[in-house]
Amino acid sequence: MDDAEQLDEDLSKLIGRATGKSRVMLERGPVSYFAIGVCDKSPVYQDPRAAEAAGLPGIPVPPTFSFAWDTWGKFAEMQPDDVPQGIAVGEIVGSLMSKGGMILHGEQEFVYHKPVFAGDVLLGEGKVVDAYRKESKGHVMTFVVTEMVWHDDKTGDLAVTSRSNIIHRL
Amino acid sequence: MMGTLSVLYFEDVKEGDEAPVKKHRLTRTDMVRYAGASGDYMPMHHDEVFAKSIGQPSVFGHGMFSMGLLGAAITDWVGKTALTRYKVRFASQTWPDEELRTQVTVTGKTVDEGRRHLVNMECKLLNSEGDVKVVGEAQAVLPSRS
Repeated sequence: MDDAEQLDEDLSKLIGRATGKSRVMLERGPVSYFAIGVCDKSPVYQDPRAAEAAGLPGIPVPPTFSFAWDTWGKFAEMQPDDVPQGIAVGEIVGSLMSKGGMILHGEQEFVYHKPVFAGDVLLGEGKVVDAYRKESKGHVMTFVVTEMVWHDDKTGDLAVTSRSNIIHRL
Repeated sequence: MMGTLSVLYFEDVKEGDEAPVKKHRLTRTDMVRYAGASGDYMPMHHDEVFAKSIGQPSVFGHGMFSMGLLGAAITDWVGKTALTRYKVRFASQTWPDEELRTQVTVTGKTVDEGRRHLVNMECKLLNSEGDVKVVGEAQAVLPSRS
């Protein structure tokens, strides 16, 4: 087996591996400030009275806020005990970067199964859904697609699915 | 502002319609604010010395800032809780002082088996030269008058 075949086999072994499980609380302050951070000036993110006037049951979260809720709401005492054995996304990135090169965020997809609001608690589980290599313009491009599926912690309802395509360019 | 949010109905939208354009001149302060708001402190987005050391002309914007800005334009139009899907490809980097503008176009309408009234959109973030920064698609469920 040559190096390239070995790399392809290592990549295919990544598919299906768990990347983590976490419980997050969506707090109002971080939600409101994140909206400002993406230049969304809508008053519904700042004032529950404006949200109510717009017919909403609470302060909604911006469509890309799931990229920040681990930072703001993953409190230690809330974390589940049954985290599956797996590999963290940071670990995958680290091992790709050990050969040098550059990491790019290639694509991002969100599926919104139901709206979520400040005050909600969500439970998310992640896995690697695809991993492959391509040669392009003299570069070796490695693609790793990870998915996080978030459920409402109280009702168990599916809330948000997030899929990220991370590219390592060497 | 409060109470002035208008509702977009399924019947009000047709293929080819465009959402109001959102324009924003990107600043280094935007990058620092987004880093703080998101927790993404990758140094090439706020540390000019680091960015130059890896061969970049300056700091550059977070891809997720671009997706967030475009998402603001989409949800300003369809409603803040209307999205069912939102997907983008990060086509090129954004640079300080670029004027970014959104382009959101309706590509189709459907009523699904669950009687949801869905609108499909193509969405782009461009600079003033027309270079595409982010390109993708979004789907929203809208209220119906029927």
